[in-house]
Amino acid sequence: MANVELKNDEVRDLVLARLSVLSSDTAISIGSNGSFTRDELIEHVAAGDPVGKKFEEIQLEWLRSLKEGIMTHVADPDYQT
Amino acid sequence: MSRILITRPEHDLPTRYLSRWSTKIIEEAQSKGFEVLDLHREKACQTEFMGRVSKTRPSLVVLNGHGHPDAVTGHNNEVLVATSENPEILGGLLTYAVSCDSAASLGKRVCAADATTFIGYTDKFTFTMQYRKISRPLEDERARPFMEASNHVAVSLLKGHTARQATARAKRLFHQKMMRLLSSTADPDALLDAQTLWWDMQHLVCLGDQEKRAF
Repeated sequence: MANVELKNDEVRDLVLARLSVLSSDTAISIGSNGSFTRDELIEHVAAGDPVGKKFEEIQLEWLRSLKEGIMTHVADPDYQT
Repeated sequence: MSRILITRPEHDLPTRYLSRWSTKIIEEAQSKGFEVLDLHREKACQTEFMGRVSKTRPSLVVLNGHGHPDAVTGHNNEVLVATSENPEILGGLLTYAVSCDSAASLGKRVCAADATTFIGYTDKFTFTMQYRKISRPLEDERARPFMEASNHVAVSLLKGHTARQATARAKRLFHQKMMRLLSSTADPDALLDAQTLWWDMQHLVCLGDQEKRAF
C-alpha cells in the first residue's frame, strides 16, 4: 500500500465530509477550547482556526493509529501507548 | 478513615458534565467507607482546596476542571494548582486530574516529590454529547462511555488497585467502549465517538509512583 501523506486541504475536506454525516444533535466538548454543535464545528474546521485544527488533529491521530495497526491492542498493565 | 477530596466546578457545559458524572465516584467512595470532601461549585476555589488538602492529606484527590499544561483550575477557572505557584500541595498524594493537558507539565512537576502519583491527560479531554440532553448530563448516552471510562480511574483506585492498574483498567474500558461503537455500523455518530474515545485513551497517563494506592 503506498504511503500517501494528505495535504492540509485534503485533511480538511476529509474531516468536513465526516462531520457532514453526523446527527444534528451532535455536540462535542474539546476541553478548554469550548463545546460545539456539529454545525459550529464544521464552521471552525472550514475556517482552519485553532478549534478546527485541534479537531483535525484528533481525526489524524485516529488515521495514524489505523495505519499502524494498533487499534487491537488491549490495554493491560504493561501496555504503553 | 480514608478520605477522598474531589473538586466539582460547574460553571460551563464541560464542567457541568464532569460534576454530575462525578457523583458516581462520590457514591462509590461512600459505599467503600471513604469520607468525601466535596468541593462543589464555588467551593472549588484555591483557598478551600489548599486548606482542605493541607489539613486532611486525602488518600485520593480527584480534580475536575479545565486546565493547561501547567495548571488545573476550579470554579470559574480559578487556578487551584499550578507549576509556578503551588505544585508541592500535591506532593506525597495520589491525584487523578480530569483536566486538559495538565499531565504534560504540572503532573511531571508534582511527581518530582517522593511517593507522589499524578494520573491525568497530556492533551485535551474530549467527549461527545447529545445536544438535547445537555441540561440532564446523567441521561446523555453519548457522553456515558467517556464519563464511565474516565470515572473508572477513580473507581479502580477506590477498589484498592494501584495507580498503574487503575490507569490500565480505565484504558481497557475506553478501548472496550470504542470497539463496541465500531461494531455499530448503523449509527453514523459511532465513528466520531470511537475516535474521540481513542484520543482520550491515548492521552491518559500515570506519572510518578505507579504502585501507589488509595488505601
